[in-house]
Amino acid sequence: MDLLRRLRGSNNEGVLALVLLGLIVAMSIANPTFLTLNTGFSVLRSSIVPVIFALGVLIVVITGGIDVSFAAIAIFAGYSTVTFCLNAGFDPGLLGIFAIAMGVGAGLGFINGIVIARYSLSTLIVTLGTQGVFFGAMYTFVGASYYADLPGSMAALATTNIFDVTTDTGRAYLHVLVVPVILLCLLVAWVLKRTMFGRSLYAIGGDIEAARRAGFQVKRTQISVYMMVGALAAIAGVIHIVLSRSANPRDLVGSELDIIAAVILGGASIFGGRGSVIGTVLGVLLVQVIKNSLLLVGVPSAWLRTAVGVLLVLGVGIQALAARRDSRRMRSIHEVDSEQKQEQKVGS
Amino acid sequence: MSPKSNQHQADSTPKARTLGQLNDQVGNWTRRLVRPAGVHRGAGRMVVALLLAVTLFSILNPRVFLSPINLQNIAVAAPEIGIIAIAIMLIMLTGGIDLSLVAIANFSAITISTLHTAIAANDPALADSLGVLIVLAGIAVGMLGGAFNGFLVSVVGITPILATLATMQIYNGIAIVWTGGSTLYGAPAMLSSIGEAAVANIPLLFIIFVITAVGVAILVNRTALGRMIQLEGANPLAARYSAIPRRAVLMKTYTVGGMLAGLAGVLFLARNPTASADYGSSYVLLVIVIAVLGGTNPAGGFASVFGVVLATLTLQVVSSGFTAIRLSSYEYAMAQGVILITVMIFDAVSSTRTKRPKKSASSPTAKDSPAQPALTRT
Repeated sequence: MDLLRRLRGSNNEGVLALVLLGLIVAMSIANPTFLTLNTGFSVLRSSIVPVIFALGVLIVVITGGIDVSFAAIAIFAGYSTVTFCLNAGFDPGLLGIFAIAMGVGAGLGFINGIVIARYSLSTLIVTLGTQGVFFGAMYTFVGASYYADLPGSMAALATTNIFDVTTDTGRAYLHVLVVPVILLCLLVAWVLKRTMFGRSLYAIGGDIEAARRAGFQVKRTQISVYMMVGALAAIAGVIHIVLSRSANPRDLVGSELDIIAAVILGGASIFGGRGSVIGTVLGVLLVQVIKNSLLLVGVPSAWLRTAVGVLLVLGVGIQALAARRDSRRMRSIHEVDSEQKQEQKVGS
Repeated sequence: MSPKSNQHQADSTPKARTLGQLNDQVGNWTRRLVRPAGVHRGAGRMVVALLLAVTLFSILNPRVFLSPINLQNIAVAAPEIGIIAIAIMLIMLTGGIDLSLVAIANFSAITISTLHTAIAANDPALADSLGVLIVLAGIAVGMLGGAFNGFLVSVVGITPILATLATMQIYNGIAIVWTGGSTLYGAPAMLSSIGEAAVANIPLLFIIFVITAVGVAILVNRTALGRMIQLEGANPLAARYSAIPRRAVLMKTYTVGGMLAGLAGVLFLARNPTASADYGSSYVLLVIVIAVLGGTNPAGGFASVFGVVLATLTLQVVSSGFTAIRLSSYEYAMAQGVILITVMIFDAVSSTRTKRPKKSASSPTAKDSPAQPALTRT
């Protein structure tokens, strides 16, 4: 029983893993071509950018906020870095490019953070506003043209694979950028679980006032959270440009809600205080596997949005019903208190 | 309380001694006067903003901006966004949010277009005579979509932002599958004539918008349901202790929201007889911006229909003004964000100043909700 509970995980990661596994098994039976290295690698490749975004969203969601500006930050940072390098005509190397982009991203995140923390405004509304500002600023001040030629180091990275396996179904490539993503996941998981900073995120998400009274620097933490999201988004933006081998300012923006849906599927609570890296990664993978398998089964990819929506309703609905059953079982004044607080949080 | 209301009460005191009834009447009347003033956060501010925007662009480029065609364009473009903004305002009033409204509107437009095309294929005359019914079917689809949102939020108990995020994906997904991702052509002739008609140079669409806004304002301010919606958003716990049927209220609110979105879908078709799944995808966030600019409290409980109408017009004026002075739509997107954040900051600063005049400098965070549970526990 204890083992079962541990396997289930604190945010139902186990259940999610089971769903994912079930889907993979079902798909392999339905269509043998599904269970190949090729499919696996392509799912991993298409998950690279969403996973990094999802890590950023996870951090914000844990603190009880929400960020819809990350896609705008990503494309702003990535695109302006590429534009800068191309126009200045120098190639700072991969590390240099990532460093510049992360600097830009963190700077934009700082704007989010300072507005949200200083005036304690609704995070959804503020990031909605900054999304428009960042996007508009990119077009107005950086440019709107499409670059097909990237700086040398980025172009080289685009075709680098760590694995290059020839199987009977064709050649399978595992892109090298999977490695930094895994490292990034481990880093974020470590920060969330083992550092004071990580624990303070959960504390703020659980109860901001309690966290403040316990001596956490709530505002400073909030600002650094949004800067981290900005930096993560910038990494994702650069990687997206590398993978698509072109810098298109029209990319990425518009996919925010899909990423948030994946993070919520991964067990993070929109009220804050809950969420894990494993769950988030599983959530993103689940969406990507569904996307991939719909195509293989011959269902038009148009159903993808519906499928994700239904999954979200089921996932969150079951949790909500369970929570309601629990609260009916023991209703005390505290219960009423926390319910009220949740309802107040709904708007923010 | 504004000084205006005090004045009225002072005026009415001598009469009150003689006629208690009159006192009540005047009291009601002043309260009614003060009520918009209380919500003036949105409305008053937006009047100023609208006037500012109109003056600014009239000075910068009077020839283009003040041309009748441009003004007419503003009046034709505003209604569809405005009605969705009013719908989201209504839902934000309960403390919720509805991301699926634009998807519902498109769904309604697609339903109407499909029905019309299907009937017109056999008998074009029949399709035109059934125009009203077809349009009503579209609005009914919107209501259904809204009712499903209401069901998820009130009965299942999913947080509104998640429930409507999911239904947005579902409705949008079904719409994409239905249309095959392409644009449908065809709408009842009735709708196109509504889209072109004008009464005394005011486009009929704009008149529909105003009528809808007045209807929702009456619903919110004058009916029991409206009161309950406001109370539910302002203080859910108090609403519960006042025996307000939470489920029924939420259910009705989301259904009305869906109906308004359905109406917006009809307006999409009236403006342009085409329907597609991804029309107006930028509206999802835009309508939230409008609602908040119009003085809607995102946490629920306070909103002003008048403010939302003005905010819609202001943004439309800024948008077409930007075009008139040859700024791009990206600069408009930027301006939109800057306006939103400035207004929010302005609100936050002025509300902390009025609430706690001394401590505002030390800790503006600790002002509201989070402090309450902590206090009850100690």
